[in-house]
Amino acid sequence: MAERPEDLNLPNAVITRIIKEALPDGVNVSKEARRAISQAASVFVLYATSCANNFAMKAKRKTLNAGDVLAAMEEMEFERFLEPLREALEVYKKGQKGKKEVSEQKRKDKEKKLDTENDKSRDEEEEEEERMEEEPDAENEAEEEEVEN
Amino acid sequence: MAATVATPVTPTEFESDRCVSEEEGRGNEAEEEGGQLTGPVPAVAHSRLSKLPLARIKALMKTDPDVSLASQESVFIIAKATELFVEMIAKDALVYAQQGKRKTLQRKDLDNAIEAIDEFAFLEGTLD
Repeated sequence: MAERPEDLNLPNAVITRIIKEALPDGVNVSKEARRAISQAASVFVLYATSCANNFAMKAKRKTLNAGDVLAAMEEMEFERFLEPLREALEVYKKGQKGKKEVSEQKRKDKEKKLDTENDKSRDEEEEEEERMEEEPDAENEAEEEEVEN
Repeated sequence: MAATVATPVTPTEFESDRCVSEEEGRGNEAEEEGGQLTGPVPAVAHSRLSKLPLARIKALMKTDPDVSLASQESVFIIAKATELFVEMIAKDALVYAQQGKRKTLQRKDLDNAIEAIDEFAFLEGTLD
């Protein structure tokens, strides 16, 4: 299931949108330029990852964390990114917390609902329950993703 | 009866295929709705934070053999940083296009920017 770096590109539509929003109206971007920027972005991801990973390894950690990435940005001389990244991270963390709570609440609601619907065919619901339960678990697993190598 | 619970897991977790919307129109739509999610607000807000699909970013990170585990936050920050990087390189390349009195950004403008700007040194020799 190993993907090669060459095979992985970031979606063109998104890259194009980011570029367009960064540039003033009336400016166009050639296909070749767009392609090159997209490639550059992929290289950036790889370089940043490698850099961040060095910090994690130095700290004898196996898991790359946000701090490692921020340290990598500084190392790569992209200090200008630090402030906006920190802000975005705060918002992201709040959003994650909200998601977990929503998913917890859904689970509770579902259980409540199932209790009252005891008369209905149990088999049907058990199947549903199993499928549904995969999601909250996936949410929890999502904290640290294991990368198989 | 069979209550369809909106998937709390965003498409960024598993469905990298669905995130590949090469079509411009669809791409925009997907962005707005949080990648085909009609579900809870937090999920939409989450995907608005990062334009780039986290699953794809993570897949890219995984190609590095030295990387074993990466927290969700780290994937998010790299995605966000990449976004900032794209903005930055586009703007810097534009300067060269304008010098050439052009309104269209071309490949050579990118090359010039990469050569001239220190932060982009890591890109030298990496693009086709």
